[in-house]
Amino acid sequence: MSSASSLLSPELLARLERLELVSRKIFRGRMKGERRSRRKGQSVEFADFRSYVHGDDLRFLDWNTYARLDRLFLKMFLEEEDLHFYALVDASASMDFGEPTKFAYARQLAAALGFVGLVRGDRVKIETLGQANREPAPVLRGRRSLWRMLEYLDGLEPGANVPLAQGIKSFCVRNSGKGIVVLISDLMEKSGYEPALRYLLAQDMDIYVIHLLSVEEIEPELQGDLRLIDCEDGDVAEITVSGPLLTRYKQTLAAFINSAREFCTRRGMVYLPARNDVPVEQLITGYLRERGLVR
Amino acid sequence: MQTINMLTWWQWAILAAVLPAIVLLYFLKLKRRPVEVPSTYLWHRSIEDLHVNTIWQRLRRNLLLFLQILLLILAMLAVLRPGWRGTALTGDRFIFLIDNSASMRATDVEPSRLEEAKRQARLLIDEMESGDVAMVVSFADTPKIEEMFTDNRRRLRQAVDDIQATERPTSLLEALKVASGLANPGRTADDVTDVQVAEPLPATLLIFSDGKFANASGFALGNLDAVYKPIGNPESVNLGVTTFSVRRNEARPEQLQAFAQVQNFSAKTAEISLELRLDGKMINADRFQLAGEEARGVTFDLGAFDSGILQLTATTGDDLAVDDVAWAVVNPPRRARALLVTPGVEPLEFALSTSAAMELADLTVQTPSYLDQEAYRQQAAMGGYDLVIYDRCQPKQMPQANTLWIGVLPPVGDWKAEPKVSAPQIIDTDPAHPLMQWLNLGNVLVAEGAPLGAPSGGTVLIDSHVGPLFAVAPRGRFEDAVLGFVFLGNEAGGGGGQDVFIGTNWPIRASFPLFVLNVLQYLGGGQTSLGGEALRPGQPVLLESASPARRLEVRTPSAQIVRLEPSAEGKASFTGTGQLGVYDVRIDGKDDRHFAVNLFQASESDIRPVSDIRIGHVDVAAQTGWETARREMWRVLLLAGLVVLGVEWYTYNRRVSW
Repeated sequence: MSSASSLLSPELLARLERLELVSRKIFRGRMKGERRSRRKGQSVEFADFRSYVHGDDLRFLDWNTYARLDRLFLKMFLEEEDLHFYALVDASASMDFGEPTKFAYARQLAAALGFVGLVRGDRVKIETLGQANREPAPVLRGRRSLWRMLEYLDGLEPGANVPLAQGIKSFCVRNSGKGIVVLISDLMEKSGYEPALRYLLAQDMDIYVIHLLSVEEIEPELQGDLRLIDCEDGDVAEITVSGPLLTRYKQTLAAFINSAREFCTRRGMVYLPARNDVPVEQLITGYLRERGLVR
Repeated sequence: MQTINMLTWWQWAILAAVLPAIVLLYFLKLKRRPVEVPSTYLWHRSIEDLHVNTIWQRLRRNLLLFLQILLLILAMLAVLRPGWRGTALTGDRFIFLIDNSASMRATDVEPSRLEEAKRQARLLIDEMESGDVAMVVSFADTPKIEEMFTDNRRRLRQAVDDIQATERPTSLLEALKVASGLANPGRTADDVTDVQVAEPLPATLLIFSDGKFANASGFALGNLDAVYKPIGNPESVNLGVTTFSVRRNEARPEQLQAFAQVQNFSAKTAEISLELRLDGKMINADRFQLAGEEARGVTFDLGAFDSGILQLTATTGDDLAVDDVAWAVVNPPRRARALLVTPGVEPLEFALSTSAAMELADLTVQTPSYLDQEAYRQQAAMGGYDLVIYDRCQPKQMPQANTLWIGVLPPVGDWKAEPKVSAPQIIDTDPAHPLMQWLNLGNVLVAEGAPLGAPSGGTVLIDSHVGPLFAVAPRGRFEDAVLGFVFLGNEAGGGGGQDVFIGTNWPIRASFPLFVLNVLQYLGGGQTSLGGEALRPGQPVLLESASPARRLEVRTPSAQIVRLEPSAEGKASFTGTGQLGVYDVRIDGKDDRHFAVNLFQASESDIRPVSDIRIGHVDVAAQTGWETARREMWRVLLLAGLVVLGVEWYTYNRRVSW
């Protein structure tokens, strides 16, 4: 209970309750949900008529029309369906940095978004990259699953150093359905994040990339002659911190962010930079709302 | 700038190897602080660009490396011991003795010798190192401490600047005594038994002078290390007036003559022109050639006059101006105040009232009862008389005056008289004495006289076959003359009356009025009015006024009025005779008389500098160039190195980057 409240405060829950996840694409849910689909289906709300073709469910024939016009028409109703929401959290060692750590931040963000989904009766699945090696993540549905979700999130640990591309590939293989996928990662991949995102693109999902960076990465406070050790692969970079180097670093970072943004927007993905010193609440109710993930 | 190599070649090789070693170590960078970061991804990409010109970049951007290299270079320079030749001031205590006597006014070095001495002293003060202390003493005939021992160089320079030229002669001995006070403490220069009580502080004595002073033979340098710096050009030329006085023409005493001596103090023949002025008007001139090292006396006839100021100006074009002018004064004769106390002595009174005697003296005649009066006692005690003649009477106290005693002995002193002898024969006189000059006593008969015994120091002036009849003896600054016989005597006559007898036939002889005039001139002081003695600069002069003066003032040649406090006797001592020229003595605001102060010092006029001086038993040779010594700067370099080290430490700790 306590760990759950550390992820999501009651105030945040109250605000999140009014939100819902939005997909810009039409998805086929497996179960009926609270979501009005653009597909016609079975519900109490009439949508349209169409001519009967062989194989149509006879239960939906409008017999009154048939009696009057002697032609078979099928009544169509608005379909209400559920939404598949996937939160994909990068759990590599590099996420375990910052104050709060990027991983904790990502977990909180996933919890918040998952809660929104749960409240709206959507199908919520939160996975970490490299999930294949662990127990499969639970599929959650309904407000009652909130505690399960939070418990599950609490149990997650960073340190699964799976290359980004491999983790996403594995996710895509296991989850073929359509829906919304939110990737929360720092995109710090030596071999590049582009292949990984391409796997996601192939899924034809509504993709949100939340590029999460810590303050220490954005404005490094380093001085002197340093031996930088990469916490994931032990790679070493020897630097002598100086004004020009810091300027150079910031230029590189800006270029990195820009290229990621450009890559995403060109391919219809929503790219959102985030930093760990901005509260999750502000990120969701502010930026994510602007970008149309929640409404 | 010179360097001294302190290391051998292999030591240099090691030192030189340190420089590349520093650079190498810098590149190796053994001590990088490890820091774990989320990813080196961005860092790698950032430093990739910088790698292009890494070596130069690293060098350029590392302050620490530069500081280390700078430190090494400074150390290497310090090892080289760079230095240059500078004038040395060895020691840490200095005494600057700067001569400001008359000869230092010579202009044979530009602008003058004193200025040159001051310039050299200032240069040496600038050379002083911190912690060195120095003292500045100027000296002529007396020393003056311009600045006590201090390490404040600004004050020392100021003290040197403040030294003014004087017109006085030179005496090194006094200055040496002042200077040795701290170096040889608790010991007077002439008393070797004096116990030393304080720690001696050795000092270097720097004498800036032309050496024109008597060798200080009675002085031991002790802990003083003397350095003599002669100032002046050995080729200097000077002609000076060494004597100038006024006297009476021997043949015609009413006529005055001026006598001057000029001397050439150089080897070359020089032309000299003399101008003599009386009260500002030129009255005589002369022009002649004067061979090298020669002196010539010149006499000017002045005629007769009572008073005036004579100025002799020599136009020579030489290097020293102060000895080219000389002054002499002729003061109006002052009449002596004479008192004759007598029961009645007609011949003497008659002789004292001649016109010649009246010119010399202002005579008062009193009877012996006057001696008991308060008025007499006051006048006698205050010096109200110049001469008192006691004729057969005796005061209780001796007066503050010269005295002549006739037939009696002074009440004090060792004067003795033997019983009277009848008809003593005068056998000898002392014509050399001023009292007896021009007197012929061969025709003088004496009825009776008492042979005298003069006290020590006395002079017998008239001797008879029974003993001295007239003698003179000093009493302090006065003189007492005693006559052993009387001109007129009293003796108890018949009927209880007093009979007068004649004691000698001298009053009717021609020598008598001359004798009276001699007495008035010599004992009355009438002679002193003429030239007065020649005063040297700095010499004190005793001034007298006729009556206890209400105001006694002296006007110096620079028109400065000095007021004196005369004693009860109207006498005052004036010591401010430092300037050459004529001084006016003013009594109650009126010019009374004058006196002249002249240099007249061959040692000052001979301005050729002396190359060696002798102090005690030590010969101090002239140092024309200062001892050259290396002024080293390795200390400065090492200090700079320390500063660099400090900056480096700061940089390292504060991670200053640039």
